[in-house]
Amino acid sequence: MAKAVRQRRSRRTLATFLVLVLLSVTIITLDETGRAASLTSGLKSLASDIYSPLRHGVNGVLDPIGRFFAGAVDYGSLEAENQKLQDQILGLERQHASDIAGQREYAALQRLLATERLPSIASLPAVPAEVTAQNVSNFAATVNIDKGRDQGVTLGDPVVGPGGLVGVVVTATRGTATVRLLTDGKSAIGVSFGHQQAATLDGAGAGRLLQIQYVPSTARISRGELISTSGLQGGALPPGIPVATVTSVHSVVGAADKQVTARPLADLNDLTYVEVIQWSGSS
Amino acid sequence: MSGRVVVRTLLVVAIALLAQMTVLLDIRVSGASPEVMYLIGIAAGIVGGPVDGAVVGFVAGIAVDLLSPTPLGMTALVGTLVGFGVGAVSGGVVREVRGLPTLLALGGSVIAVMLYAVLGKVLGEPQFLRVDLVAVVAVVAVANAVLAGPAVRLMRWALEPSADEPAASRRR
Repeated sequence: MAKAVRQRRSRRTLATFLVLVLLSVTIITLDETGRAASLTSGLKSLASDIYSPLRHGVNGVLDPIGRFFAGAVDYGSLEAENQKLQDQILGLERQHASDIAGQREYAALQRLLATERLPSIASLPAVPAEVTAQNVSNFAATVNIDKGRDQGVTLGDPVVGPGGLVGVVVTATRGTATVRLLTDGKSAIGVSFGHQQAATLDGAGAGRLLQIQYVPSTARISRGELISTSGLQGGALPPGIPVATVTSVHSVVGAADKQVTARPLADLNDLTYVEVIQWSGSS
Repeated sequence: MSGRVVVRTLLVVAIALLAQMTVLLDIRVSGASPEVMYLIGIAAGIVGGPVDGAVVGFVAGIAVDLLSPTPLGMTALVGTLVGFGVGAVSGGVVREVRGLPTLLALGGSVIAVMLYAVLGKVLGEPQFLRVDLVAVVAVVAVANAVLAGPAVRLMRWALEPSADEPAASRRR
């Protein structure tokens, strides 16, 4: 009798487990094949719309606690960073005293560079947004912003931050959006360098350098060179947005392409405010 | 599960999700942050056995999937497998062996993160193996091991019916 009850319970346990596994696999299949894309994205959108105000409210209360723990964990590196910054201030003070003229020239060049960059996107409407969360998953380099479809943000819109391109909008709910950063392993941006030579800029994971693909071994490209969006890829992004600077160039004997790495111009680890360029809707 | 157990469990999942999406995102070691949603399924497995572990692991997983940019259902599948596995392994010995919940949380978290990364790669998500997997595994496992005690107490409060509930709803 007891044995029969045990067997029945064991069968029920196994059945529940199998149902849950099958349900999970079905959801993954529907999401990955895109057959129920509108349903899955609608569910994600609804969940985000419900959860965002809660998260926003709780962030205000819990942020100081999180920062306290983060500070405790990073105490050693903060101390080193503090020392480094003090050294930098000392160096800058010396430099400032001895080379004011050079400082002025540098500032003028910065302004010039800024004006040179602007025309590519100056005519396009932009939505300013605040970054509400960074890298929600350990497996994707993304940021969440506080503007969504209601404010005119659409899928595929480029997002720029201080310095240059930050990423592209991959999901948009009514009041929020998720931006896939350049460093994400799934990110691939059409770029150009030198005299309109086209290449592809691939993300290699959060915190890692970007990889520039399809640079022919005969191409002229050097360290420090500016990389901008090409406007190719079927016009997925507007041309001329500064993206990154080249950090290393290696030629491999016998290889058709050079191995080139680049660093994003924008500091992707410290984003507070960004601008969503309303490109997808206008193009 | 009685209505009261369901409500309490959903409350625990919602609180864990809120903590995951707010305060825990600020804690980053080598670029990785803790993932407590696996711990909820693991703790349910320790307290209630394989079925409770699988069900709570699934619910916690689907909740985090809905708010993440990764494919829907992946965390749910991993949560189900790990919650069930921990529940099956822990059996009735947990209450007698001191420190076993911590060990199960540590081991379960390591398996969960590795399983998630491999599953992502299988599904053609190139970024899943481009992260610093060692750092992610270490951070998630250590954080969950540290939080195992409070998580088990929380799940015990959620899953175990109180003395004033009818005998029919009491399984343990």
